[in-house]
Amino acid sequence: MGDNQKRILDLLAEKKISVDEAQRLLSLTEPGKDTGTQGPEESAGSKDKPRYFRVQVQPEAGSGKESVNVRIPMALIRAGIKLTSLIPAHASDEVNEALKEKGVDFDVRNLKPEDFDELVAALTDLEVDVRGGREKVHIYVE
Amino acid sequence: MNYPPPLMRLGIYGRRRFSLWLPLFLLWPVAAALAIVLAPLVLLAALVLRPLVWGKLALLSGPMFFGVLCALRGLEVNLNLGSRVLLMSFK
Repeated sequence: MGDNQKRILDLLAEKKISVDEAQRLLSLTEPGKDTGTQGPEESAGSKDKPRYFRVQVQPEAGSGKESVNVRIPMALIRAGIKLTSLIPAHASDEVNEALKEKGVDFDVRNLKPEDFDELVAALTDLEVDVRGGREKVHIYVE
Repeated sequence: MNYPPPLMRLGIYGRRRFSLWLPLFLLWPVAAALAIVLAPLVLLAALVLRPLVWGKLALLSGPMFFGVLCALRGLEVNLNLGSRVLLMSFK
């Protein structure tokens, strides 16, 4: 029995979740189930880790607009996250306040390289396609 | 082992084609020598600024900056502005 399953049963024993919720959560944690909802660690083990984060903005044919094609190494994003540890506390507070003003309730001090590894593992199957106006935005990892 | 990108490519393609490969590997020995020369000063600054938060910043900024430099390998930016295409990449 995995840690996640034990945690779910503990929550059920403490009556923090209902039986139905526990059943649903347990079904999601079952290994080998083709729901595409494996944990990040399991996903990472079965596939190669993505090395690049790609953003492509392509104009619709004939619109003559600009196109953008950016390939960012994951290592660069990781290095950027490590740099956040150098931000002094008072500067972090200012950044947090600025983010809050924009409607993002997030504490930059909580950004840790370990979390990034987990996030990258979960991003393996990410592919976002946005078609709007005259442009097509494609975001994916490779 | 991680090492900084040895080459940087800059390109502007339009009516006139301009492409430049910058041999960054020629800069790294100079930068390394400069870092060695400046290391005692940085250590001194870190000690002086230790009571303030800037001490940690002075001490760790060098290695972290080096980490960012190493991570630049593979970065590629390609902008197509219609009449011109701008390209920047680190190899």
